[in-house]
Amino acid sequence: MQQGDGAEAQVTWDDQQNINRFGRLNNRLHELDDEIKLAKEANENLDDAGNELILSDEDVVRFQIGEVFAHMPRDDVETRLEQMKEDAAKKLERLEEEKESILAQMAELKKILYGKFKDAINLEED
Amino acid sequence: MAAAASTPQGVTERRGIPAASFVEDVESYLRQAGLDVNSGLAFLQERLQQYKIVEMKLLAQQRDLQAKIPDIEKCLDIVASLHVKKTLGETLTADFELSEGIYSRARIEDTDSVCLWLGANIMLEYSCDEANALLKKNLENAKASLEVLVADLQFLRDQQTITQVTIARVFNWDVHQRRSKQATKET
Repeated sequence: MQQGDGAEAQVTWDDQQNINRFGRLNNRLHELDDEIKLAKEANENLDDAGNELILSDEDVVRFQIGEVFAHMPRDDVETRLEQMKEDAAKKLERLEEEKESILAQMAELKKILYGKFKDAINLEED
Repeated sequence: MAAAASTPQGVTERRGIPAASFVEDVESYLRQAGLDVNSGLAFLQERLQQYKIVEMKLLAQQRDLQAKIPDIEKCLDIVASLHVKKTLGETLTADFELSEGIYSRARIEDTDSVCLWLGANIMLEYSCDEANALLKKNLENAKASLEVLVADLQFLRDQQTITQVTIARVFNWDVHQRRSKQATKET
């Protein structure tokens, strides 16, 4: 683009791809935030269930499997609950790790894009 | 990664979604297309709207699938529990919902089969193993479709980004043109 004062940087396909990549990462970041929120809630609910179980003095508790509440011995429920807690904690950890990696990649792309376009590009939200 | 999804000359569409072409040079783009700035912008805006409509459609499909997967997992869970009870020779006592807020109690003794709701008002009886296999297959299919759908959405969003960037560049180019014209007039 020959435009006299040359204030505008030429946008190349490489730049466009970087912008696309940034857009994708940003999208995924928003999805991750939602998923992390849900995973945290699930963790808390399981913790609550575990605490209630400790407090209750019943030998048989009703445990929801699918759509029904199965009558299960307390010990079995405890084991299953522990397993579920472990899985939920692992899932949350995995999501947090992905978020870290995405933030790092976005910072890298910001450096490149701001480096080239200066204030002609805006990569911040709002 | 993004290069595989679309290149200036490469992929022209993905599952019916046309790729947005990347514009190297605004002036020659407009000249080749035989458009002035305003009609060029109008064309691009229209494209963007079309992409948005497709995006909404795909997002709805994604939500459906995302709801379906935990449902299937729940089914697998109960089938597995029935199977465990059966091998232990125990009875499964369960409270189940008759109607909203009304529960009854059932004892399920020594069961070999479950009935799966296949949709379209059809229910079929399966042995526990068969039901397990079928549900697992459904789960795999749902996960695979979700993966394809997510890739479609990413492709679509790239096209939206390209179009938005192009709109901004055409607009800026126009402003520049006017300014330099103004400048030549004044001097």
